[in-house]
Amino acid sequence: MQRVLPIILILLLLPVHVSIISKVTEAKKLLPKGEDTSYVLPSPILKIMALEFDGLASDYTFLKALVFFGSTFERQEKPRLKNWEWRWMYNILKASTDLDPYFLDPYYVAEAQLTWEGNMVRETNTLLEKGSRYRDWDWMLPFYLGFNSFYFLHEDAKASEYLMEASKRPGASPMLASLAGRLAYKGKKTENAVIFLQVMIKRTEDENIRKQYETRLNAFKHILFLERAAAVYQERFKRQPETMDDLIAKNIIKEIPEDPYGGKFYIDKDGSIKTTSELR
Amino acid sequence: MTTPIWPIAVITFKEGIRNRAIYGISIFALLLLGANILISGMMMQELGKVAVDMALSTISFTGLLLVLFVGINLMAKDLDKRTIYMVLSRPISRPQYIIGKFLGVILLILTTISILSIFAIISIFMVKLSYPGYFPRFSWPLVLLAISFITIALILLSALTFLFASFSSTSFITLVLTVVSYIIGQSITDVKALVEAPQTVGIKVSSVTVKVVQAAYYIFPNLSIFDIKLQAAHGLPISWSYVFWAVSYGVVYTCLTIILAGIIFRRREFP
Repeated sequence: MQRVLPIILILLLLPVHVSIISKVTEAKKLLPKGEDTSYVLPSPILKIMALEFDGLASDYTFLKALVFFGSTFERQEKPRLKNWEWRWMYNILKASTDLDPYFLDPYYVAEAQLTWEGNMVRETNTLLEKGSRYRDWDWMLPFYLGFNSFYFLHEDAKASEYLMEASKRPGASPMLASLAGRLAYKGKKTENAVIFLQVMIKRTEDENIRKQYETRLNAFKHILFLERAAAVYQERFKRQPETMDDLIAKNIIKEIPEDPYGGKFYIDKDGSIKTTSELR
Repeated sequence: MTTPIWPIAVITFKEGIRNRAIYGISIFALLLLGANILISGMMMQELGKVAVDMALSTISFTGLLLVLFVGINLMAKDLDKRTIYMVLSRPISRPQYIIGKFLGVILLILTTISILSIFAIISIFMVKLSYPGYFPRFSWPLVLLAISFITIALILLSALTFLFASFSSTSFITLVLTVVSYIIGQSITDVKALVEAPQTVGIKVSSVTVKVVQAAYYIFPNLSIFDIKLQAAHGLPISWSYVFWAVSYGVVYTCLTIILAGIIFRRREFP
C-alpha cells in the first residue's frame, strides 16, 4: 500500500493540475487591465538592465512588438488597435532601436505598420532618421523617409533630398534618382506612389508585409487607372465627371475596379479619385 | 627544482572538468543554441544579426555560469573542506598555489569556450544554410574576435573570484561579490553616462552619486570593453588599436588582481 499510494495520488492530481492550468489562465484574462499602459522603460535604464546582452534585449523587445501586433489580427473590432496601443508599439520599437540602433527589423516594421495604419508618420520619421544615420550603407531607410515625406507629409522638396541621399548608397535602385527628379512636378502623385511601392516591394522579403504592400500597390494602380479615365473625360467633354457612372455611360471604362480594401471608389468634389475605405 | 605551479594547474583543471555542474551547463548551452535556429527564423530581415547575437550571448552567459558555479568551487572547496592544509604543508608558497589554481581555471575556461564555440559556429552555420540571403554583412573573423574577447572577460572575472576567495570565509560570499562585480562591470559605462547626463530620462542625481560612480568606474573592471557582440553581429569594423588596448587592459587588470590575491592570501591565517 505504501508504494502504491504515491502513484495513485500522482495519477489523481495530474488531471486536476491540467484543468487548473486552463482555469487559471482563463481567470487571468478576466483580471482588470490598465488602459493607457503605453509606458516602456526609458532606454538608458533598459540599457543598464540588459548588461552585456544589449543585442539580445533588442531582439526580445522587437519580438514582443511583433507578437503583440500579430495577436491583434484576431480582433473583430475596428479600428483594430487603440491609440495607446499604437503609441506602445512605437515606444517599444524605439526602445529596441535604442538598444541596438543598427537593427533593421524595427525600422522595417515601423515603416510597414505605424505609418499607414497607425497614423504616426512624424514619429516613424524620427526613428528612420536615426536608422539612416547608423546604417549609412543601407539605401532603404532614406528611401522610406523619402516616401513618407512625399506621400504622407506632402513635403516634396524634403522627399527629393532623402531620395538623392538614398540613391548615393551602394546597391540603390537606379529608379531613385529619376524619382527624386519627378517629385518636382506636381500632379503626378499617384504615379509616383506606384513607383515608390514597386521599389519597396523589391526589397521586401517578408511574406506578410509584401502582401500588404502588393494590396496597396493594386489599389493605387486602380486609382491611377480611374484618374486617367477622368482625365480623358475632362478632355472630351471639357468638364469634370461627377460620378463613376459618368465614366461608364460615356464608354470610357467598362467597369469600376474593386477596391482591395473593400471600399468603393468615388469622385470627390474637386475631381480627385477617392475610396470609402480610405485604404485602411 | 621544477615549480609546483603546473601540477596544481593540471589537478585543478581535471577537478573542474569532472564537476557535475558542467553537464548541466552544457545541456543548457546546447538548448539555447538549438533555440537560435528557431528564434532567428522568427525575424523578418536581419536573421544573421539575431543568429550571431544568440550564439555569442549563449557563449558569454554559459561562461559566466561556469566561472560562478565551477570556477569558484575549485578554490573554495580547498578552503571549505580544509584540504588546503595538505597542500600548504608541502613545499609550495601560497602565491604559487594561487597562480597554479588560476592557471587551472584558465585552462578550464579555454577548453569549455572552445567546445561551446564549435557548437555556436555550427548553429550560426545552420541558420546561414537555411536562409543564405540574410547575411549580407556577416564576417567569421569578427565572430571569432568577439569570442576571444568574451574569453578574456571571463578570465578577468575568475581572477576576481580568486581575490575575493583570498579573504572571504565562505564560498557564498565570494559568489555574491563576484556577481556584484560582474553587474557593475557590465553596466558601469552606461551608468556613468546616465548619471553624468541624467536629464535624458528626467531624473535628478546628487553630486555625491556622480563621484561614487566615477570612483567605481576606476576600481571595478570595465567588462563592457570586451563586449563587441553588437559590432560582430552587424559586421562593423573594429580597429587593431582597439584590440590592442582592450587586450592590454584585460592582461594588466588580471595580473594586478592575482598579485593582490597572492599578497592577501599570504597574510591570511587559518584556524
